[in-house]
Amino acid sequence: MIDTTPRFTVDGTRTAPTNWDSPDMRKRIARRYAAERRFKYLGMGAVILSAAFLAFLLYVMIGNGLSGFQRTEVALDVDFPALTGGTGAAALTGPSAENTAASLDLPGVVSVAVEAQYGETEVPIFSSGAWQIVQKRLLEDPALIEARQTMWLPASSELDIAAKEGGSAQAERLLAALRAGDAVQTGFNSSFLTGSDATDPAQAGIWSAFKGSLMTMLVTVILAFPIGVLAALYLEEYAPKNRWTDLIEVSINNLAAVPSIIFGLLGLVVFLNWFNMPRSAAIVGGLTLALMTMPIIVIAGRNAIKSVPPSIREAALGIGASPIQVVFHHVLPLALPGILTGTIIGMARALGETAPLLLIGMRAFIPTPPGGLTDPSTVLPVQIYLWSDEVNRGFVEKTSAAIIVLLLFLLSMNALAIYLRNKFETRW
Amino acid sequence: MFKQVAALSAGIALLAGCQDQASTSGGGTRDHIAIVGSSTVFPFAKAVSERYASGAAGRTAPVLESTGTGGGIEQFCAGVGPGTPDVANASRRMKVSELETCQKNGVTDVAEVTIGIDGIAMAQSVEGPKFALTEAQIYQALAAKPYGMEQTAKTWADVDASLPNIPIAVYGPPSTSGTRDAFEELILQKGCDANPKMAALKESDKDQHDAVCTDIRTDGAYKEQGENDNLIVQKLASNPDMLGVFGYSYMEANANKVRGIPIQGVTPTYDTIASGEYPGARPLYIYVKKAHIGKIPGLKDYVQEFVSAGGKDGYLAPLGLIALPDDARAKAAADVDAMTSIDAAALAN
Repeated sequence: MIDTTPRFTVDGTRTAPTNWDSPDMRKRIARRYAAERRFKYLGMGAVILSAAFLAFLLYVMIGNGLSGFQRTEVALDVDFPALTGGTGAAALTGPSAENTAASLDLPGVVSVAVEAQYGETEVPIFSSGAWQIVQKRLLEDPALIEARQTMWLPASSELDIAAKEGGSAQAERLLAALRAGDAVQTGFNSSFLTGSDATDPAQAGIWSAFKGSLMTMLVTVILAFPIGVLAALYLEEYAPKNRWTDLIEVSINNLAAVPSIIFGLLGLVVFLNWFNMPRSAAIVGGLTLALMTMPIIVIAGRNAIKSVPPSIREAALGIGASPIQVVFHHVLPLALPGILTGTIIGMARALGETAPLLLIGMRAFIPTPPGGLTDPSTVLPVQIYLWSDEVNRGFVEKTSAAIIVLLLFLLSMNALAIYLRNKFETRW
Repeated sequence: MFKQVAALSAGIALLAGCQDQASTSGGGTRDHIAIVGSSTVFPFAKAVSERYASGAAGRTAPVLESTGTGGGIEQFCAGVGPGTPDVANASRRMKVSELETCQKNGVTDVAEVTIGIDGIAMAQSVEGPKFALTEAQIYQALAAKPYGMEQTAKTWADVDASLPNIPIAVYGPPSTSGTRDAFEELILQKGCDANPKMAALKESDKDQHDAVCTDIRTDGAYKEQGENDNLIVQKLASNPDMLGVFGYSYMEANANKVRGIPIQGVTPTYDTIASGEYPGARPLYIYVKKAHIGKIPGLKDYVQEFVSAGGKDGYLAPLGLIALPDDARAKAAADVDAMTSIDAAALAN
């Protein structure tokens, strides 16, 4: 339909009605549509680009990291009776077992056995920590020491790399020779999931860092969640609106944006220097990260509480509920999905945090898993950081494998959040 | 809803429990050894910690942090007590000013233990033409792009007319090796920075500077020889025109086959290395807080383990630690037994 009503400009003169069919007008309309399309494609491009980055990251990580869950093992004949002077199984039981094992000079035993079976080689065949595995197996099953045994021990990282992706010419030659003798096998590297940090990539494991992360997150959530939610409830439901609460609101918003390293310095000064808490401990890491996470939870909590319709509060008050009953029976359950989402975002940030933990000493080399909250420990991202810094090439795949573990940890945390959110979600 | 409130309060109670535990363990004693310091010593200390922890029943693994020498000594000197580290690793000697800080903070008795040498020597067969090089000459002969320019030198005479007219051929460690790192850091970097333009580049573009200064040519003049230094010694013995880069201790052990090449006019000997005169090497130290011996279980055992591991056949040698000569090792072991304190006068010379 063509609009034919006369038009007037401000000064009263008549103008011709808009001609929607004129070539000029058509061009303008086409331009507007084109702009619309361009914007749509730009947005789509942005999504595709970020998806491509994510796909690339996952591809590289999984490509590099999957081999970290496997290890190459080589067979070794160990003539225990001859090499240990006929030590009996009884000596390896009871309270002095570890001392006996230490006195056997297992590093020497293993190197003699290697020399006897394979002679002098250009690259080492076994990982330098192979003797520790022998020691562990002997302590688990002392009867082994009374006979000649064929043991499958982890290969050196040169050989391991040669078996997985191709290594130096010497290592390839050695590997071919070993394969010809049927002395090589590839197995699932269970010690990667159950072990702790080690000098030798074949022995290094993620368990102690995983446990450290778990404990740190536990402290963080136990501290940050209740305090954050209570603060949000008070500010939304009880606090008078005045200059002081405005100031508090601005401070909380600012705190949420403070770089994490500053919380690390705070943790160093307050928890370590003033309160004399133990260095490198999960509890201090958790406290520091809780400080960082709390403002995020408060902000998310306030928004969630704000979005609960006032009619619900009024209806509850109307049928005689006390204010505290209103809050705990109605407002909080309805706001909980939003609060949980905010908490998980904060926790995910805390889980991936490295900088503040470096400052409170959680970057130490700790070859045993932490036994409690005050034991020295490290966390997954710091472990990744430490391994990425290692000279030994065997740590490259360990780094990627550790990243996979960290991503899985994060995914399961998010899955839990989504589950909880859906469980508590109410529609009105 | 009640259940949720109960869960929250249980959480808070649990946290309170944690804090109690924390304050007692923080203020009381500590059952693990705390070690801080140099990243150069870190890999050696890691290996020793591992070995120490599995050495006997009931030993707790030491906690080891790589903070850099300066940062480590600062923490070490902060005071006495379970909140401060027991051992500081150092890739240089403690400064007199640092010792003064220590003493001011009550850390009056500090034992110094030399654990070995981090460094490399350039050597050649005793039958070859005598070389004497400067850092800048070594850099120009081996860099992938000397001072950012194309590498054209084929013979040593191309680098400097005073050098013998024989092809450049150097056996050395691969890029995964700590010895290679030391070679790049101690020799090539310095030779590179001798050029004022490169020193200026360091200010403007550090990455570019590091690439120009430490990338080694890959056209065959520098031959990577795996981690086996003995193999390099043997090859040098049979090829008198070649030079080799390897751990100092191997050179000393094969003095009948190879001789050290003077760099900047200094021949590598124990004395020149220990005094720091020879550019290719530096001794490594650990500092032990004597007040903690007897209070922190196993501290002395750990230090003894470190000294015994630092021998020529010890497990630190494959990791790149150069063993001290026998008399110096005997002195280090005696220092550990007696826990000799250092004073400012000892550090000053």
